[in-house]
Amino acid sequence: MYDSLGAQTGLPRPPPNPQPNPFGNAFVGAGSGLIRGGLGAYGEKILGSSSEYVQSNISRYFSDPQYYFQVNDHYVRNKLKVVLFPFLHRGHWSRITEPVGGRLSYKPPIYDINAPDLYIPLMAFGTYVVLAGISLGLHGKFSPEALNWLFFKGLVGWFLQVSLLKMTLFSLGSGEAPLLDIVAYAGYTFTGMCIAVLGKITWSYSYYFLMPWTCLCIGVFLVKTMKRVLFVEVRSYDSSRHHYLLLFIALAQFPLFLWLCNISVNWLF
Amino acid sequence: MAKEFNVPPVVFPAGGNPGAAHQRRLPTPPFPPQRFANPSIPFMSFDIGSAAASTSFSAPQFAGNTIGIGSSFEDEPPLLEELGINTRQIWSKTVSIINPFRVNPDLHEDADLSGPFLFLLSFGLFQLLAGKLHFGIILGWVTMAALFLYVVFNMLAGRNGNLDLYRCVSLIGYCMLPMVILSAIALFLPQGGVGILVIAGVLVIWSTRVCTRLLVELASCGDEHRGLIAYACFLIYTLFSLLVIF
Repeated sequence: MYDSLGAQTGLPRPPPNPQPNPFGNAFVGAGSGLIRGGLGAYGEKILGSSSEYVQSNISRYFSDPQYYFQVNDHYVRNKLKVVLFPFLHRGHWSRITEPVGGRLSYKPPIYDINAPDLYIPLMAFGTYVVLAGISLGLHGKFSPEALNWLFFKGLVGWFLQVSLLKMTLFSLGSGEAPLLDIVAYAGYTFTGMCIAVLGKITWSYSYYFLMPWTCLCIGVFLVKTMKRVLFVEVRSYDSSRHHYLLLFIALAQFPLFLWLCNISVNWLF
Repeated sequence: MAKEFNVPPVVFPAGGNPGAAHQRRLPTPPFPPQRFANPSIPFMSFDIGSAAASTSFSAPQFAGNTIGIGSSFEDEPPLLEELGINTRQIWSKTVSIINPFRVNPDLHEDADLSGPFLFLLSFGLFQLLAGKLHFGIILGWVTMAALFLYVVFNMLAGRNGNLDLYRCVSLIGYCMLPMVILSAIALFLPQGGVGILVIAGVLVIWSTRVCTRLLVELASCGDEHRGLIAYACFLIYTLFSLLVIF
């Protein structure tokens, strides 16, 4: 279902044929450019001969990150509406597939509102860190080290969310969804957290209303996403277990929000 | 010089005759030869330019040595040029940043890090004047911000993106000028007041605007991602303004 290099082990394969969409297989261009630029003078030496092997290995685990950044303004605005007010979304929640090179792959985010992207989660995480810094400052507890600590706390929260989603997939016997998809879905919760922290900054009493509300919204969004998109992959359909796990995902959002939206310098509260 | 001085023999630990020992001495920088009326004071004076020296020295050797060392010293390029610091270019780039409405991307074609280094240093110095020791923090945050912007920009631009990390750091550093101005202004305003928040807002928007325009025009990203890039730059400069405000 996913356009990946498959489960071959070890042998270096040439990069796949470029897809007909206008961005092409830009992972070859942008990714190797990223890696080479980053390594500077040693890039050619280390990656020159083995770049195909490295790319095939990265593609096996990471499934072409460039796919997740094919966004534009229109997509970002509508996706934020879907994430923050999921009950207002009248359309369906499944992703659109297109046949590419004899294999079915999903359309990129520009063409499909339900496709995950990595731009919004990254920006939401950055906004969360900045807003947390502002909140700390307004309470007089700002220091750059505190902000570094909040950054790592947010990363840990993201990782916990990813592991929660991954564990529910594993417990149903299927873990085949690409890692970056799950990272993207987990990152969408930071948009809700940004709203909650923004409410805390502007008027402290609004926090007690906004936090449960956004928690609920993100819970609904995650449940609907996991139900439609990811459980398509699961072979066996066990109805009650399905529903318990979805309920668990929605309920687990509440402690996560409590932990991350309560901006303080301590580890727990 | 025709005068002959009574030079007592100098004994060196390595031995050797005093004549050879004198020859091994390097000449001191030229100073006007001083003549003492009292010949009992042992004083050796050199007249570097003159070919005729007192007979106890071997003058042509010294003259040759000094002329040889002098010409190689004069041939070296100036220090700033050797280090690659082009002060005129830094100044013209800085002046181009000051106008937020008209951006001249040609000046920023070749990136350099000496201008950003100066800006970050002055940012740190103004923070120091306010009592906060933030040099390491500023350096670390600029690195992380440059990496973040580099990843986001190249991923958004896809195949067309040709931003490299060096140019990214250079652009972020140059557009840090409004932040430096903010930290200078913040020294005179009460901390946590409304005034500093308003001024910080204006300067952050200035930084963001200049940085976005330079990025889009230099790295051929395309107009459809301008708002997305602008938000990333906005986040970065808000982060630095937090250092100043709080």
